[in-house]
Amino acid sequence: MLVDDHPQRAAMVEAALEGCGCRVVSMLPTASGLLFQMEQHQPEVVVIDMESPDRDILESLSVLNQHQPTPIVMFAREQDPQFIQQAIDAGVSAYLAEGVDPIKVRTVIDVAIAQFARYQALRRNLEETRQELEQRKLIDRAKHLLMAHQKVDEAQAYAQMRKLAMNSNQTISAVAAGVVAILDGEQGEQSR
Amino acid sequence: MSLVDMPVADLPAAEQVLVTLGFMRLTDAAPLIVARELGFFARFGLEVELVREVSWANIRDKVTVGTLDAGQMLAPMPLLTSLGIGGLRCPLLTGLMLNLNGNAITLATGLYGQLVGSEPPPEDPLQLSRALARQCAASGQRLTMATVYPFSTHTLQLRLWLAAGGLDPDTQLRLIVLPPEQMVDSLAQGIIDGFCVGEPWNSAAVQAGAGVIAASGYDVWNNAPEKILGVTAAWHDAHPGTHLRLRLALMEAACWLADARHRKQAAELLALPGYLDLPRGQVLPALLGQHQYRRGGPQVDNPDFLVFHRYQAGFPWRSRGECLLRQCLELLGKGLPDAEIAELVTRCYRTDLYRQAAGLLGWPCPTQDHKAEGAHAAAYELEPGVRLGADLVMGVDGPDAC
Repeated sequence: MLVDDHPQRAAMVEAALEGCGCRVVSMLPTASGLLFQMEQHQPEVVVIDMESPDRDILESLSVLNQHQPTPIVMFAREQDPQFIQQAIDAGVSAYLAEGVDPIKVRTVIDVAIAQFARYQALRRNLEETRQELEQRKLIDRAKHLLMAHQKVDEAQAYAQMRKLAMNSNQTISAVAAGVVAILDGEQGEQSR
Repeated sequence: MSLVDMPVADLPAAEQVLVTLGFMRLTDAAPLIVARELGFFARFGLEVELVREVSWANIRDKVTVGTLDAGQMLAPMPLLTSLGIGGLRCPLLTGLMLNLNGNAITLATGLYGQLVGSEPPPEDPLQLSRALARQCAASGQRLTMATVYPFSTHTLQLRLWLAAGGLDPDTQLRLIVLPPEQMVDSLAQGIIDGFCVGEPWNSAAVQAGAGVIAASGYDVWNNAPEKILGVTAAWHDAHPGTHLRLRLALMEAACWLADARHRKQAAELLALPGYLDLPRGQVLPALLGQHQYRRGGPQVDNPDFLVFHRYQAGFPWRSRGECLLRQCLELLGKGLPDAEIAELVTRCYRTDLYRQAAGLLGWPCPTQDHKAEGAHAAAYELEPGVRLGADLVMGVDGPDAC
């Protein structure tokens, strides 16, 4: 069973798990009746996003009760603090039904950790691409403002900014931001 | 009690200046938030980052692996984690209790209406519990009640209250765990019939009209241990100076909070987006000890609803550690020999660390590690200058309530 508020990531974990012969009996987001789902599916393993508050619900299933006939305990390989650190860094936590072979389960958790990490990397890439695009847009804007203000062509405007960046030991996008802040302001003054 | 001008420069150096502390969205996170916002941490040379966590399990695990240096924890947590119950096994310890009390038991408005009928609502929480037992017997209804964590004062208080009225929590009810944020919605939707949780979630249910407070945690167990500052034994060993400064800052923050005149300002801080991110009006009742138990109802005053600093609140009594551990083991159907319990509590509840900090602050402090529970109906003086609060436990008679 997978508990994750990010449907894309959950799909990645599911695909990877099914690829190595596991069956995902249920995928659900946080706060959608975890206890009911647990009773319904009686999963051997639950992989849960660390940022889900539903973790504390799973912890309660370590206490034997008539509604949950099998106690569920956190997967914690005591001899392997590095593994736990790795899981926490990736944001993965896992619980297993008592009597389930932890060695068998290790694969499931490894797969989840790998997919969580992959998702994190994808997100980071996406974020970097987005920032790059924004910077490019900013530089373009600064270039056009300079062209209008200094009556120069595009190459000259860019060269001016690059020189300024080198002289002031700043990145070109920082210089562009400065140019936009100053010239946009001036334009605003003039149009008023 | 005023803050003592302590020569901070004479303290052992902080091995680590940047400290990350985990907390939950609860009113009793106040000492952490106040210590950060009002500069108590800074006064002791620490730069503290407060990290809001979504589950008690997260705080435990992140402290265990070192992603967090320390955390607000449920009082039984260092003991159970040291035993490996519920998750990772790791020796944790505490040298400071953060607060006493702060929880309440809330019933769904509809259920409460059935209990009291057209009569004026009973003032006595024990009467309400008895009425609930009668109602369950008459209707054959099996209610579902929730707490936020299995091994917590909440669970123990709810079980005590139910049992005092004549309900067997194991067979006549369904007790489940839900995250605090889901309590009010679940109550409103009829998924649960009641809960025991820390504030502000009881007040949130009352203000939404979804619930009525049936008993305060104080009613069930006077001045019960609630949250502690938890660290791993390894982190303490490597950072005794930083740990001492953390405790001193939090003790001064708790002392500041003990002054009723400061509680409104505290509510402003707690309500901020980075902390509880809730309307101030939901945070205030617990801090002022002035509740409406039902929407539109009269004000119920209890200055001890949430206790900081007063009654030696910070002292991690070993007797209470033993009491909590015994009750949690009972929930698990496990037992441990008395000697093992005593030994574990001695390692986890570090009264020596509390005394070290209290000594530096010039505060009076108990000389003994054990005290009676269930023996005092009012505040009393244990030793010269050491004043403790009432300690009655509902439905349990005699000085050996635990």
